[in-house]
Amino acid sequence: MKLKTIHALMFAAGMAVATLATAQAPAATPAIPATWAQGRTADGMNPALSPNPPGISALPADEIPVSKLKVPAGFKVELWASGMPNGRSMTEAPSGTVFVGTRFTGNVYAVVTKDGKREVKTIAKGLHRPNGVAFANGSLYVAELSRIIRYDNIEQNLDNPPAPVVVFDALPKDEPHGWKYMKLSPDGQYLYFQIGTPANIVVPPATHATLNRLNLKTNVMEVVATGVRNSVGMDFQPGSKELWFTNNGRDWAAEDKPGDTLNRLVRPKGMNFGYPFCHQGDFLDPEFGKGRSCDEFDKPVYNLGAHVAALGMRFYNGKQFPAEYKGNIFIAEHGSWNKTQRVGYQVVRVVLDSKNNVVKSEPFITGWLDGDKFWGRPVDVQMLKDGSMLVSDDETGAIFRVSYAK
Amino acid sequence: MKLMFKTKAILVVAFFNALLVSAVVNAAPPDPIAGKAKAQTCFACHSENGISISPDIPNLAAQPPLSITYQLIQFRGQQRKGGGMEAITMILSDQDIRDIAAYYAELPAPPAKSGNADKIAKGQQIAGAQYCNSCHGPQLQGQKHIARLAGQSPEYLTTQLKNIRSGARIDMDGTMGSAARGLSDEDIEALASYAASLN
Repeated sequence: MKLKTIHALMFAAGMAVATLATAQAPAATPAIPATWAQGRTADGMNPALSPNPPGISALPADEIPVSKLKVPAGFKVELWASGMPNGRSMTEAPSGTVFVGTRFTGNVYAVVTKDGKREVKTIAKGLHRPNGVAFANGSLYVAELSRIIRYDNIEQNLDNPPAPVVVFDALPKDEPHGWKYMKLSPDGQYLYFQIGTPANIVVPPATHATLNRLNLKTNVMEVVATGVRNSVGMDFQPGSKELWFTNNGRDWAAEDKPGDTLNRLVRPKGMNFGYPFCHQGDFLDPEFGKGRSCDEFDKPVYNLGAHVAALGMRFYNGKQFPAEYKGNIFIAEHGSWNKTQRVGYQVVRVVLDSKNNVVKSEPFITGWLDGDKFWGRPVDVQMLKDGSMLVSDDETGAIFRVSYAK
Repeated sequence: MKLMFKTKAILVVAFFNALLVSAVVNAAPPDPIAGKAKAQTCFACHSENGISISPDIPNLAAQPPLSITYQLIQFRGQQRKGGGMEAITMILSDQDIRDIAAYYAELPAPPAKSGNADKIAKGQQIAGAQYCNSCHGPQLQGQKHIARLAGQSPEYLTTQLKNIRSGARIDMDGTMGSAARGLSDEDIEALASYAASLN
């Protein structure tokens, strides 16, 4: 209660300029606050919270404190590649080349392993938030903010990449939550990606807060799910071929809710996961939830915790990790900003039973967070053909590899 | 003879110690003293005290260190262009950038600039309506990687806001683009006068 009063006072002080100005005359042009600040209320959370500066440079390999990362007994974590400012989403080509997208630097990288040594090549520069990457039929697909492009025969031309072919350029141009996560369907026919909500908490246009897919043969795009605030990680479950995805919960409601969630698309179309009315399956929005019920909406599989920033996720279907890891989901938690005590900054392991219920969730890689300071932020995970797992980190511009040896 | 040999040995040890120190200097925390030495080239335009020599050039004094760091990295990566900064930053390491940023961040803030009172009042009103303080701070003093606007040259601020509005200057995450989109030239000039009038 006392803390809340102090927060309200701090907020009032911070907004004094705005209040004073409003008293004088109405603004000439309507304006909205920065996306991250939208939804903040005077009687709400700690107003001193603001987003972490994005990672835009890469740490030299010898400065990356990989020894601080902790994994369960029997596993080993090592620095796999470095020198990729803001490196985020990953995809592996059949040859073993790993492509890496970015959000803030506009680059796309290729990591090539030759004679046991890795080389990082910057294959594209100056793109607009090329966060999504997928590989199909010898081509690299890149999802920028408002279009999807394709680099044909890319692996034969890593040192001199061809000009990209524009595949689809009619996506919304909103910057907030406009960067894409992209995943190729198991049949190779579709690219799945999200269109995030254009704010923290609003009733979005029908096009936004959705999961979509683009048919690569017909170039027809369709909505596959709605009410998804912003999903920056998805994967198809081996066997069932269902799409599972992470979803980021809204900010400024409370320190401990709503949670980021793990979700499952049990119907190929028509599911609605509740945004902006209901969050985490059972938490009505303090503002937009009025007169609504969470029963109207589809529920997530699992609540991963508030503000952890659950991003990239993959099912483990490899042979290297012990048998109990088969079918598990690994999720990269980028880490919080809208919470006084930092959470996330780790990779978690989610264990499912044979009926796809979550049995448990536990930290798998920790150590990026050191007290209140973080030195790295995991963004995406990628299983390699040898059964080991990569983790990208957009703060250090590096990729780590986790392997298991008996 | 013996003494000379000893001196030589000490010198050799000292030399290798120096080498060792320089080998770990990359991992060192930002050093404003080293930054001053590295900033000699900057002084010609941004001055030793961080108050620039021309209204077209930004004052760097008391900028948040991350704000300088982020701009220098974007110049070096050629994502931001202007003032010949792309060429100047090309040779800088991340540590050079952090040191230079630490040097300028520690300097006393630029003095508040007087201006047309009506214009400043209009600027204050627009700043409130546009929520400038949610990122730039209640007195537009900057924070984290967000620039200090208080005491900045109004001519520089006007040019930059127009460049962000037109897309000529990189927009880190879209926030400034959407803030600048609805502003007229007069709005921008008023905002710049208001920011310059703060300390």
